Amino acid sequence: MKTDLLLAIVLVVCLSGAVGASRWLDHHDHDSANRFAEEQLYLRGRTARRLTLAFNGVAADWYWMRSLQYVGRKIVKFEDEHDGRFELNDLSSLDLRLLASLLDVTTALDPQFIPAYEYGALILPEVSPDQAIALLNKGIAANPNSSRLYQHLGYIYWQRKDYARAGEVYAAGAKLPGAPAWMTAMAARMKAEGGSRAAAREMYQHLYESSNDKSVKEMVEHQLLRLDSLDERDAIRRVLDAFKSQNGRCVGSWREVHDELAAAEIEISRLKEEGSVRAYHMFKFDANAAPLDPSGMPYSLLSGGCDVDLDPKSNVAR
Amino acid sequence: MAVLIVDDSAHSPSQTNLLTQTGLRVYSHVMFGQTVAIARNTFREAVRDRVLYNLIVFALLLIGSAIFIGELSAGQEIKIVVDLGLSAMLLFGVFIAIFVGVGLVYKETERRTLYVILSKPITREQFLVGKYLGLNLTLLVNVVVMGLGVMLALLYVRHGWDSLAFGIWPAILLIYFELLIITAVALLFSSFSSPALSALLSFFIFLIGHFSSDLKTLADTGTSLPTRWLFRGLYYALPHLSNFSAITATAHGVTPDKRAVAGALIYGVLYVAVLLSAAGLVFRRRNFK
Repeated sequence: MKTDLLLAIVLVVCLSGAVGASRWLDHHDHDSANRFAEEQLYLRGRTARRLTLAFNGVAADWYWMRSLQYVGRKIVKFEDEHDGRFELNDLSSLDLRLLASLLDVTTALDPQFIPAYEYGALILPEVSPDQAIALLNKGIAANPNSSRLYQHLGYIYWQRKDYARAGEVYAAGAKLPGAPAWMTAMAARMKAEGGSRAAAREMYQHLYESSNDKSVKEMVEHQLLRLDSLDERDAIRRVLDAFKSQNGRCVGSWREVHDELAAAEIEISRLKEEGSVRAYHMFKFDANAAPLDPSGMPYSLLSGGCDVDLDPKSNVAR
Repeated sequence: MAVLIVDDSAHSPSQTNLLTQTGLRVYSHVMFGQTVAIARNTFREAVRDRVLYNLIVFALLLIGSAIFIGELSAGQEIKIVVDLGLSAMLLFGVFIAIFVGVGLVYKETERRTLYVILSKPITREQFLVGKYLGLNLTLLVNVVVMGLGVMLALLYVRHGWDSLAFGIWPAILLIYFELLIITAVALLFSSFSSPALSALLSFFIFLIGHFSSDLKTLADTGTSLPTRWLFRGLYYALPHLSNFSAITATAHGVTPDKRAVAGALIYGVLYVAVLLSAAGLVFRRRNFK
């Protein structure tokens, strides 16, 4: 009985000591953990696939979750350093140097893992467009009937302003069985007016409709607000130019052009679950007759009333 | 065991033939009954072994944890539950097949119960086959319980019915056949080697079995004729366990092709027959004095 008690005491004391030592090590060895956090992966995708035998699926899931957590940790760190504000447009400042390797291993382990390619298509262009294109080409080679991968690849080429290549990719995707009909039209549009705002709207709308990811939908909404705001600013500039040519001077305050702005109609997009719709809207104004941008902040007059821009506090992407 | 003495001189040829057929039927029935009795006892022994219970509980816990890991996977819960569940089923199945399989013959010789069994009218082949079937039954129970666990996890994650709940079973059938081959491999090694070495060799065969396509590549790309023949021989001699891997495709909702499954099952049965025959040949010549 005494021996049992003694052993139990030794067990509890030593376990407590081990927990304390671990906590001390975690606290004091923080630098070494960070030092290896960004170290390149030891395994290449093909090697990992061979080593995992029949367990490649579960290994792919492991690398997939690692990819998500890698980006998630960077976002949390960014938010800690920037008052909790993070948007997908800020991705380029996250230093996601390992993401391409992680997704490469994930998709080498499971070449049919479409969400991994899609995730790379949305995040990697901000880090390295070439790696994003390589990942998607790999995905298309492994899944030649996935029109969504063609859509994402076309989107990346469009972002790079390579409209001819984007058009070719959409045309190739449109030929696949089950491909959405709009891909054919998008292929033609890329070739004719790839850099236009209308093409951008259409691109984002299709991205919104085809994605189930909440953060992607939010990103698309932000981009469409940006396009709406660009249209609004064009309309305001037309009113300001007309005022200047009539009066020989720029406006002193928004009240001087309130009536003209109130009469202006702007064509915008409204996103709905079943798809997007085109709509016309009128400016809204604040108490000082300043027109409001899509995020509800008043526009600012620049250059002594000859030009307009977003308010510095506006949430509309620039 | 009944001993049949047929006195041909007392009967006509047709009567003799009838008696011989009846005798064979009785003989095969008795043989089958003895084999089943050994299998049943092997199953009972395995079930009484607490290690088996621990493995089942551990596998079920792992499958349960898949649900929580799934929540970290950005919408890929179903895939992860299937991947993790079926991989756990294969991994624990392989451990059971190897570690229990290598002890099937060894434990009986160590405890000297083998001498008692073989002193009865039971052939050594019967003993081996009975032991093999007993462990197969244990594995079947394991696989079915784990499969039901994966099904329940899927239903839980989906909050309702999911077609994969049925769709996983062809992959589970293939896993079971892979385990049958591994068990036969373990039994073959244990028929002439120590448990530790048998376990090691069986594990190597499991590894090589998943690299068998590389042997074919080596055979096709070899520069000299002897090299090509060597690797071709190894390719056909070693089991092609990658034929039984359908976990990843199943996790994507792709059911294995029926003909491929049927082909793999036929291959599995034939390969097991080869292994058991080899084990029988070795075990027949083993001297227990």
